Amino acid sequence: MFRETGESIRRNPTLSVASVITAAVSLLIFGLTLIIQHGFDNLLSQWEGGVEMIVYVNSGAGEEQRLVIEDALGQQQGVTIEAWSYCDVACSLADADRLFAGDPVTRAQLTELNIPTQYKVVPLDATQVEILRGLRDRYLELPNVYSVQLAEEQLDLISKLQGFVSTYTTGLWIALMIAASLLIWNTIRTAMFARRREIEVMKLVGATDWFIRLPFMLEGLLQGVAGGAVASVAMWFINGRWTAGVETFPANSGMTALVVVDGYEWRVGLIVVLFGALIGTIGSGTAASKFLDV
Amino acid sequence: MIRLENVTKRYSTDVVALDGVSFDVPKGEFVFLVGPSGSGKSTLLRLINRQERPEEGSVFVAGRDIVDMPSNQIPQLRRNIGNVFQDYKLLLNKTVFENVAFALEVIGKPQHVISQQVPAVIDLVGLSGKEDRFPHQLSGGEQQRVSIARAFVNRPLILVADEPTGNLDPGTGEGIMRLLDRINGTGTTVVMATHDRRIVDAMRRRVVQLDRGVIVRDQERGVYQ
Repeated sequence: MFRETGESIRRNPTLSVASVITAAVSLLIFGLTLIIQHGFDNLLSQWEGGVEMIVYVNSGAGEEQRLVIEDALGQQQGVTIEAWSYCDVACSLADADRLFAGDPVTRAQLTELNIPTQYKVVPLDATQVEILRGLRDRYLELPNVYSVQLAEEQLDLISKLQGFVSTYTTGLWIALMIAASLLIWNTIRTAMFARRREIEVMKLVGATDWFIRLPFMLEGLLQGVAGGAVASVAMWFINGRWTAGVETFPANSGMTALVVVDGYEWRVGLIVVLFGALIGTIGSGTAASKFLDV
Repeated sequence: MIRLENVTKRYSTDVVALDGVSFDVPKGEFVFLVGPSGSGKSTLLRLINRQERPEEGSVFVAGRDIVDMPSNQIPQLRRNIGNVFQDYKLLLNKTVFENVAFALEVIGKPQHVISQQVPAVIDLVGLSGKEDRFPHQLSGGEQQRVSIARAFVNRPLILVADEPTGNLDPGTGEGIMRLLDRINGTGTTVVMATHDRRIVDAMRRRVVQLDRGVIVRDQERGVYQ
């Protein structure tokens, strides 16, 4: 079977290369979409779970000092606040890991001793911006409150940007994946046409349809996997260049969280290769079934 | 071994290839199908190996009606039927050995069986020493011998030949017929479509004559006419 597959690829080198390149481009955009989404998730990670307000507490504030803040939050629970939670030093350091992933210098300055801990607040009605602004003003006056940040100030722009990027890149990779799959479909169709004499002989001597199909399906699978591998390498390179570039951005540029350095890029690489295998198999499988009677 | 009952095959409403054809071929028989072009000879052969299905009637091969045979069982049927064609249908990028071995490889025969059976059948068809030649390095008669070797290497119950001597000179054609006769002598049923009067007259075997899709003559030890 492998010999037959190799023979088929050798007969159609230009089409095979075209299929691999198209698959690689579409899978690269697919992979980059996942990476970008993950970068945005990093940027917005502190606002997960409906959090609309974060009360930063001075580093070094003890439990008793925090009780004042918790009393104030407790008074509003069920009135304007649905829930609140305390993000301790370890939790805040983990947030910093994501937020300053692209700015290791700033991140290195944050330690257990100086990082502000956080109260994450989920309001009863997030659309009541005025009420949240009123709460912020009140909490800013509490002792040991370092700052209060509202999601609306940060989220709107990022969410819009995320939505824009996500919509267009998703549309693009879907279109390109279909194109790659169709190109693989056509490559297999051409390969089957080129080998129609062998297929005819195979059928006449009693080869099963699966025996005839499998080398062609394997060819499509290999093209998809090769495209996925090329896309993974390109994605790894682009991600590396982007991360290196972000490190040179100013700390307050807002881009420092928009990098992926937590190993997620390797998982995406694997997903991209698996997706390549999938589109290759779908394209070649449908062609091999449809054009068996050449 | 082969039985057709009231078989009608139409390619369109006004093109009737076979019209209510019935005939029997017992095991081990050698049958010539004769008749003008378009009389239905090739269609009949294609019905036997299920390349075609009739609109009406039944086709029995080795006791089994193959008309409604599920498609996943057709490969098994074809492993019992060897096919020889006028244009040989050899794979040009494969050697003599590889062409013959191909028939065993695609049905999953193990390598040790292939290395045993292929040289034996190449010897049978008289091509020993030419195993490594490609089709373009062989004469027409030799190519047809390779085609016969490929058809016979799996020891099929039936061998169908569609004008196997059509592209060959008379002397070479006679050699091919001697080979097919020898294969028939091993118990393999042979059904052969031909236009070659000399061969039919020389062999004096059963002759079934078709004309416009109808059997007009079925003669034991017949001649071409």
